Amino acid sequence: MCGLAAGAWLGAAEAPTKLVTVGFSPFIISLGMVAGVFVARWTVPVALKGTSFVMTDLKAKPHLIAWGLLAGMLWAVANTLTVFAIRDVGLSIAFPLWNTNSLVGLFWGWLLFNELRGSAAKDWMKVLGGAAAIVVGACVLAYATQQHSTAGPKNATLGILAALGAGLLWGTMYIPYRKAYLSGLNPLSFVTVFTFGELGTVVALASAFHGGLGNLWVELGRARPAMFWLFLGGFCWVLGDLFQQYAAKYIGISRGIPLSNTNQLWGLAWGALVFGELAGLAPGPRLLIIGGSAVMILGAMSISFAEAPAAEQASWKRATQRECERYGMDESTVAAAVRGEEPLSKAKPKRHWWEALVVFFAAGIFVWLGLNAARQELAFNLPWMIVLAAASLAALLISGVALWRRTRFS
Amino acid sequence: MTPPVQPRQGAGRLTAIATDVHFWVPVVVLLLGLSLLLFLR
Repeated sequence: MCGLAAGAWLGAAEAPTKLVTVGFSPFIISLGMVAGVFVARWTVPVALKGTSFVMTDLKAKPHLIAWGLLAGMLWAVANTLTVFAIRDVGLSIAFPLWNTNSLVGLFWGWLLFNELRGSAAKDWMKVLGGAAAIVVGACVLAYATQQHSTAGPKNATLGILAALGAGLLWGTMYIPYRKAYLSGLNPLSFVTVFTFGELGTVVALASAFHGGLGNLWVELGRARPAMFWLFLGGFCWVLGDLFQQYAAKYIGISRGIPLSNTNQLWGLAWGALVFGELAGLAPGPRLLIIGGSAVMILGAMSISFAEAPAAEQASWKRATQRECERYGMDESTVAAAVRGEEPLSKAKPKRHWWEALVVFFAAGIFVWLGLNAARQELAFNLPWMIVLAAASLAALLISGVALWRRTRFS
Repeated sequence: MTPPVQPRQGAGRLTAIATDVHFWVPVVVLLLGLSLLLFLR
C-alpha cells in the first residue's frame, strides 16, 4: 500500500516541472522543487514525530548521515536531469524511461544486500520477467519518441539520455535507502538528512550554471510567481517519498521500488489528461506510448508479487549482521527496528514548544508564496486535475491510516 | 553480562565508511550524473 501511495504522490510531484516548457531554466525549476521539499520536510514530519526522536535515532547510527547526504545529492542531480528530459521529450515519455530505475535498484539490491538470494525459481521468473517487460516498455517508448516527437532528433536523443541517466541515479539512490533501513533507521530521520544533501547540491548546481549566487537570486526573483507551484510539487514529493521509504524498509528495494514506480501511470495521466501532451499525436504513436507504459507497469507489478520467502529473509538478516559488525550496532535492537518495533518509536517523543513555531513558519512560506502566485501560461484541464488530485488524496488517507495502525510510523 | 554495543567513533567510523563498497558505488554514479549534466547543459 505504501508503494502504491508513493506512486500517486511521486507522480503528482512531477507535474509542476512542466513549467520548464514556459521558459524557466531547468536549474531554477529543480531548485524551486527542492526548496519546496526542504520546507515541506519541516511541516508534516515535524508535526508527526518531533525533532528529539530524529536526533536520538541519528546518534545511534551516526555513520548513516553520510549516506543520507549522498542520497540527497543523487536525487538532486537526477531531478535536474529529469527537467532536461521533460523539456526535450515531454512528461509522458520521459517518465517511463527514468522508471528503469527499478531495474537498477533491483540489481543493487541483489548484488549488495542479498535481496532475492535464496528465492524460488518462480520468484526469480516473476522478477526477471517483470524486468524484461520494463526494458521492452522503455524501448517501445524510446521508439515512439524518436519517430513521433515534435522535438528535433538531437533533442530527442539528449532527452532520452537525460531520462535514462536520471533512472541510473535514482536506482543507485536506493543503496543508501536500503542501507539505512537494514540498520533500523526511521524513514523520517533519513529524510531529514537527505533534504540537506539535496538542497546543498541544487543550490551549488544552480549557482554554478547561472554564474554565481547573485545571478541566481535575480533569476529566483523572476520565477517567484511560479514558485508556489514548484513548492507544491516539492510538498507532494515529500509525502510520496515517505511512503516509498516505508515500502523500501518493509519489503526491500527490489519489490518496493517497482511498486512505487506505478507513479509512471500517474505521470502519464497528468501528462495526457491534464496537460494534453498526446493531443497532437496520431492514434498509432499514441497507442505505442500507452501500450509501452502498460507493459512497463505490468512488469513492475510482476516483480512486486514475488514475495520474499524464508530463505531470502535469512539473506536479508545476513546483510543486517554485516552492518551491525561494521558500524558497531546492537543486532537485537536493529532487528526490532527493522520489524517496526523499536523501543524509541514506542516511547512518547519529547516535544519542544519551538517545533510548533517551525511548522507554523514552514507553512507560512507556502501561504506567502501562494499569495504571490500567478497563473502560468500553461494549458491544463481543470476537471481532470481535480479528479487526479482527489484520487491522490484518497491514496494518502487510506495508506497513511494503515501505516499508523500497523507501525505507528516506525 | 556483555557490555552494550557502542557505535564506532572518530577514525574507526571514517575507516569503516571509506572501506565500504556501499559508499563508493553511489559516489561513482553521482560523478557520472554530474558529467552528464555538464554535457547536456
